[in-house]
Amino acid sequence: MTALHNSTQTKESDRQGRPLLEAKGLFKSYGKVEAVSGVDFSLAENSYVTLLGPSGCGKTSILRMIGGFEDVTSGALVLDNVRMDHIPAAKRPINTVFQNYALFPHLSVAENVAFGLSYQNVPKSEISKRALDALKTVRMDALADRRPRQLSGGQQQRVALARAIVNAPRLLLLDEPLSALDRRMRKDMQIELKELQRRLGMTFLHVTHDQEEAFALSDWIIVMHDGRIEQQGRPEEIYACPSTAYVADFIGGATCVFGEVVEREGDKVVIDTPIGRHLVPGVSTLSTGAPAALCLRPEQLTLAKAGIAAHVKSCVFRGSDWIIECEAADQVMQVVVGVNPPAQGALVHVHFDPDRAWVAAASRGDL
Amino acid sequence: MSQPVDKIGNWLALPVVAALTALCLAPLLILFVYSFFQVDFVTILHEPTFANYAKVAGSETYRGLIARAFGSALLVVGITAIIGYPVAWFIAKRVVAAKSTFLTLLLVPLYSGDLVRIFAWRVLLGAEGAVNRSLMWLGVTDTPFGGLLFSPLATHIALTYNYLPFMVIGLWLAFESLDDAWTEAAADLGAPAVDRFRRVTLPLTLPGLIAGGLMVFVMVAGDYLTPQLLGGASGITIISAVNDLFGTAFDWPLGSAIAWTMLAILMLCFGVGALAIRRSSFISEGT
Ligand SMILES: Nc1ncnc2c1ncn2[C@@H]1O[C@H](COP(=O)(O)OP(=O)(O)OP(=O)(O)O)[C@@H](O)[C@H]1O
Ligand SMILES: [Mg+2]
Repeated sequence: MTALHNSTQTKESDRQGRPLLEAKGLFKSYGKVEAVSGVDFSLAENSYVTLLGPSGCGKTSILRMIGGFEDVTSGALVLDNVRMDHIPAAKRPINTVFQNYALFPHLSVAENVAFGLSYQNVPKSEISKRALDALKTVRMDALADRRPRQLSGGQQQRVALARAIVNAPRLLLLDEPLSALDRRMRKDMQIELKELQRRLGMTFLHVTHDQEEAFALSDWIIVMHDGRIEQQGRPEEIYACPSTAYVADFIGGATCVFGEVVEREGDKVVIDTPIGRHLVPGVSTLSTGAPAALCLRPEQLTLAKAGIAAHVKSCVFRGSDWIIECEAADQVMQVVVGVNPPAQGALVHVHFDPDRAWVAAASRGDL
Repeated sequence: MSQPVDKIGNWLALPVVAALTALCLAPLLILFVYSFFQVDFVTILHEPTFANYAKVAGSETYRGLIARAFGSALLVVGITAIIGYPVAWFIAKRVVAAKSTFLTLLLVPLYSGDLVRIFAWRVLLGAEGAVNRSLMWLGVTDTPFGGLLFSPLATHIALTYNYLPFMVIGLWLAFESLDDAWTEAAADLGAPAVDRFRRVTLPLTLPGLIAGGLMVFVMVAGDYLTPQLLGGASGITIISAVNDLFGTAFDWPLGSAIAWTMLAILMLCFGVGALAIRRSSFISEGT
C-alpha cells in the first residue's frame, strides 16, 4: 500500500517497495486517553499525503510522534528503513510547519530561515544566500528584514514554510497550515503548496480536517476516525469507493441508509434497506448478511415522478442551487435541486441511479 | 463621558500622590542637600562643597565596601539565576494541578521574617549545627568545620536563599508566556539542547531575568543584617557604615554622600535594565 501515483511514476519505478516512512502499529496514549490506537501507513517518496479527520481523532498526535515531539507509546516509525522512534527531534531529517507557525519573534525573517542552516553542513558564507533563496521560493525575499509580528498571517505562513524547506528535509510535516487563513488565501496557498511539493520533489504530510483541501492537494489520503485509520487510498478511489459509511458521510456528505447485504452478484450487492431493496455496486469484501450502508450523495439524487416517496422537511438556498432535506421511512436524505424547490411538507419522489450509488460497510468491523 | 470621572479620580489620587512625594522623595532630597554640607565637631556647616564625594571617591575603605556590595549583589543575581531557571521552568511547564501550591511554598520563607531566617541558618551552619553534625556522622570529618558560619560563604548562602523567590517569580512569569512551540521549532530545526536555551529560551525569557535580577540586585546591595549576623569579620557593609556615620560618628553629610553614591549607581542599573526590557519586549511585540 504505497502512495504511488501517475505523475511521478518515472521517478518512482526504481523506488518501488521502498517507502520513505512507515508507521507500524502506532499507538499513543496520554495517561488514560488513547489518542492513536494502532495505525499503519507508509509514505512514498515525492508524494503529497494528507491525514484527514475530524477534531480530536489523533492527527496532531501522529504528526508530533513523527516530528519527535512526543514519545511513541508503542509501535514503530521507520524512515528510510531505519527505526527512528528513539532518535531525538533535532536529529531527524524531518521539518515541521507548525500550526501557529512558531516563528521566533526575536529574530528577523532572514534569521528565522537561517536558524536551521547552522546545524546543517553549510559553510557560514553560504548561509544567508541559501536563506534568501528559500525566501525567494515563497516570494518573501522583499520582507527579509522584518520581524515575524510585522507580517500578516499568510506571510508568516510562507516564512514558516521557507524556514522548514531550506533544510531540505526528507519529509515535511504540516499541521493544519492553512486553518488560520481566510477562504481566498487558503485556496491560493493550496495551489502554491502543491506546486512547491512538485518542484522540490519532497514528501509532504499535511494534516487537515477539511476534505476539500485534502482532495485539492493529495496524491494519497489517510482518513482517520477515533484514533484509527478508516480508509486510505488515492483521492478518486476514496471518493468513489468509500469503504465505510463514516467515510462516505465525511468525504462526500452522503446520506447513509443502513441495511443488510442480502446477496452478492459479481461486483454488485443486493442491499435490503428501509427504503427498499436495491442492486448497487459496493465494497468487494462485504459478505452476505453483513450490516451495510447504502450511500447516496446529494448530487446523485433527483426528484422524479416515481421513486421513493418522501416528505420535504426543509429547503436551503445555496446560491447556485437548493439543497432539499426529505424524509422517507425515518431516513433523512439530501437532494440537490436546480430550480423551483418544492414547498415544505410536500410529498415528493426521490430517484437515484443504482449504478452510481455505492454500498459501504456499516462500520470498520464489518469489512 | 469619562472626562468628569477621570477628574474625580485625579482629585482622589491627589492626597496619596502628595503623601508619597512628601514621605518618599522629600527625605531623599534632604539627604541630597546634606551630602554637600560639612561637619565641624558637632555642628553642621551649611556651606556647599563636594568634599564628601571626594572623600568617598578617595577612600579605599569606602570604595572597597561599595564595590563589595555590588559584587555580592551581582554574584547572588548570578547564583539565583542559575538555580531559578530550572525551578521556574519546572513550575511553569511541568506542574499542572499544584501550581499555586508550589508558588506558595516558594513564598513561605518570605513570610517568616529576616531574623528568623538568619538564625535558622546559624542553627544549620554553626559548629554544633545540622550540617556539621551530618558531616561528622557520615565520617567526612572528625572535627566540625568552624569556618562555615561567620564567613562570606554563610552570608552568600543566606542571601541566595532569601532572594531566590524574587528571581523565580520573575522567570516564572516569563516562562508562562513562553510558547513551547518555539523550543519545539528550535529542536525541529536541529538545535541541540544547549543551543535551544541559548538561542531561543534565554532571549525570550530575558525580560523576566532582568526584572528578577534587578529586584535581587537591589535587595542584596541593601541588605546589611544578613552579613552582619552571619558574616562575622566580613560582615561590615557599606550600609552599616552609613548607619554608623549617622549614629555614633555623627557625620551626616558623609553618610548622605555615600547613600547618594549608592543610589546613583542603583538608578543607573535600573535605567539600563529598564531599557533592556523595553528593547526585548519591543522586539517580541514588533510594533
Ligand atoms: N498532551 C495531551 N494530554 C492529554 N490528552 C491529549 C494531549 N494531546 C492530545 N490529547 C487528546 O488526544 C486526542 C487526540 O488529539 P489530537 O490533538 O491528536 O487530535 P487532532 O486530530 O489533531 O484534533 P484537532 O483537529 O482538533 O487538532 C484528543 O482526545 C485529545 O484530547
Ligand atoms: Mg490537531
